[in-house]
Amino acid sequence: MKINDALFGIIFVLVASAILITVQSFPTLPDQPYGPATFPTIIATLMMLGGIALCISGYRERAHQPMIRLAAVMKTRDGLVRMACVPVFMVLYIFLSKPVGFPIVVPVLLAAFLTITTRNWLKSVIIAAITTTLLWLFFVDFLMVSLPLGLLTKVIY
Amino acid sequence: MDVFYSALEQVFRPDVLLIIIGSSIYGIVIGAIPGLTATMGTALLVPLTFFMDPVPAIGAIVSATTMAIFAGDIPGALLRIPGTPASAAYTDEAYKMREKGLVELALGTNVICSMIGGLVGVLVLVIAAPQIAEFSLMFSSYEYFWLAVLGLSCAIMVSRGSAIKSTLSLTIGLILSMIGIDVVMGIKRFTFGDTELVGGISIIPTLIGMFAITEILRKIGELRELPPVPPVHISRMMSGVGSTIWKYKGGVARSSILGTMIGALPGAGADIAAWVAYAVSKKFSKTPEKYGEGHIEGIISASSANNAALSGAYVPTLVFGIPGDTITAILIGVLLMKGITPGPMVFVMDAGLVNAIFMVFVLANLIMVPIGVGAVMASRHVLGIPQAILFPIILLFCVIGAYAANNTLFDVWVMLVVGLIAYVLEENDFPLAPMILALILGPLIEENFMKSMIKADGHLIEFFSRPVSGTLGVATLTIWALMVFMSLRHAKRKKAASLPS
Repeated sequence: MKINDALFGIIFVLVASAILITVQSFPTLPDQPYGPATFPTIIATLMMLGGIALCISGYRERAHQPMIRLAAVMKTRDGLVRMACVPVFMVLYIFLSKPVGFPIVVPVLLAAFLTITTRNWLKSVIIAAITTTLLWLFFVDFLMVSLPLGLLTKVIY
Repeated sequence: MDVFYSALEQVFRPDVLLIIIGSSIYGIVIGAIPGLTATMGTALLVPLTFFMDPVPAIGAIVSATTMAIFAGDIPGALLRIPGTPASAAYTDEAYKMREKGLVELALGTNVICSMIGGLVGVLVLVIAAPQIAEFSLMFSSYEYFWLAVLGLSCAIMVSRGSAIKSTLSLTIGLILSMIGIDVVMGIKRFTFGDTELVGGISIIPTLIGMFAITEILRKIGELRELPPVPPVHISRMMSGVGSTIWKYKGGVARSSILGTMIGALPGAGADIAAWVAYAVSKKFSKTPEKYGEGHIEGIISASSANNAALSGAYVPTLVFGIPGDTITAILIGVLLMKGITPGPMVFVMDAGLVNAIFMVFVLANLIMVPIGVGAVMASRHVLGIPQAILFPIILLFCVIGAYAANNTLFDVWVMLVVGLIAYVLEENDFPLAPMILALILGPLIEENFMKSMIKADGHLIEFFSRPVSGTLGVATLTIWALMVFMSLRHAKRKKAASLPS
């Protein structure tokens, strides 16, 4: 996904401005003009200068650089769906793993994702079940990581 | 001698050896599968190293990356697809050798040269690092500040593409490093009232997001089936290798030293070392016309250099705490998590650990030969793993890895956000190396900058008052001037080219 440099420049200038405004409220060392704001001010200024330079180059190149150009793979339905699956997988894991539980959520999510990438649901279900079991054994039983049990907590304990 | 025996004791333990062998096999798989880079492999290892002692943790990273850089040569020679960017410089050459029926010679030479290059790099590390560390014991905050800034400046200079974009990538890393409690007065900065951010941005999810999620996003859209792998004969892999390497021994030595030096340069890694060594080798060759036609000389040079660079990157990492490449930047993050701050004091206070690290390096390079040969034999199976199955499983591993370190789902959010931002930035030619280097070096730079400012009472001239700090300062300013000059010249040329003749 190509984005015009000027758009990036604007984002950098806005972020740098927000930092410069935020650090105004930071205290300084007693009898010294320096403090927690000094370093962020220098870096934000550098970011702002870089952002302005990008704005200028992006404006000059506007004829050759559209504001946003999707990558070729994003223009195909399959490619876009597979890419979208990545953040969707993570967001669903974040919201569902605690209330529902890792042993239930992960096989379902992984099987769904694998079905989309392999187009073979039976193979996907088998791989998802095996992978979840192996990862559970490795992380929970071997490395002692406490992965959430969710609904199974009451069943097991 | 006691220190040596203590190091031996730390490395030659069954659990450590098992971890090194296991990581080597993992590294081979990561390196051999096109699309999975050594940096991504390291980022995925980090959550596991969290549960290990320092020596096995470093051993895991060193052996996995050493193997991955060699293993990148396997699909390069067999399928004309480099497994990692470090093999790209000589992929065509190796594939041409396959077409001539010499693929075994190419791969056999690769594995031996990778080992020689790696060992030369380790030798330089063993000899130079303690000497530099002893010298740098007298460094004050001024020297450390300039060293870190010089490191970041080099990272920008060697980055491909625009210096402005590299600088902006660096500023993102520095801003991220400022999140949490500040080093001067201990106040909360940029935490947005969130208690999860008070301790700073977690390094594990950030690394996974930056190097693994970006890679998954890039590859998952265009899943491809690899072509079938031709059969490889082990007997042919070892015959003629010794005499071939002996014939080009000068090139091996030159490239190994060159690779070590390039690796020691912050921001420049194994891929740049391979490209430079290949170009230098062609320049000095008696038969430059054979390059590009399946000539072994270029492969020998470049494959020695990329593994040497890997070892070379550890010189500034261990001596100054300044990463030589993205892999060592991740390693510094791991060491910091374990309460070890890399720098000259480690050589004084924990010489056993330093010697153990050296031993791990030697061991990783030596076991590369048997495991590497085995990997070439098993390449049909490794390269047969469908990407459609691989990437969803890696994603799940990333999610658990990000969660496991602190048992918090907030870290999965961090990984997701960092991954998406890094993906968009990289797609638009913002290099990620300056960002990760800045994220790791940010606290060191700020702490030494503030110490120096307070000591100097704001007089910037004091930053140049000591001989070493003055030299480093002038070197840094020269690099900045050079970058500005190069950018202006590039802009002028671009403008001239766009004008109608």
